[in-house]
Amino acid sequence: MGLLIVSEYVLMASLAVFSIAAVRIATRKSIGMGLVGISGLSIAIATLLILINRVYGIGFCRDIAYALVLLGPVGTIAFARVLRG
Amino acid sequence: MMDLIIIIRPVILLASSILIILAAVGILRFKDDIERVLYARIHILGIADVACILALLVLGEPLLALTYFVLVPFVSHAIANAHYHGEGD
Repeated sequence: MGLLIVSEYVLMASLAVFSIAAVRIATRKSIGMGLVGISGLSIAIATLLILINRVYGIGFCRDIAYALVLLGPVGTIAFARVLRG
Repeated sequence: MMDLIIIIRPVILLASSILIILAAVGILRFKDDIERVLYARIHILGIADVACILALLVLGEPLLALTYFVLVPFVSHAIANAHYHGEGD
């Protein structure tokens, strides 16, 4: 297999590691830390879905990634707005 | 020229992988009892976001990368602002 395929698999593995780290951060004591963790998790999952779309050819993963990239920040900003009061 | 592009794309993907691993290590490395640790983690999250944006560009999704590039600063500002005004510290 070529270097591009190997680098895509390496990126998948690193995104999985980052997802685990983001979930661990989300469980920390403050609410803002949860927002940091979940927003990191959403971008990691969106990029992972684009990679799955390219490597395995699953078409709807791209649409889910688009929804995640658009709606994830909107939800985070809305929650932060509520947290600010 | 095509040979150069063929080499550049895996290099950028591997660089993004390294940045994301470093962000994962950094986001866990700071202990919770450090003062104002949330702002450091927001900054580290920005590094992972930029790595994902670079990866999305290489993977052929410029619209997705551009959209997230515009939204990321607002997300970071909203979280930091909410933490400062809403939770103190």
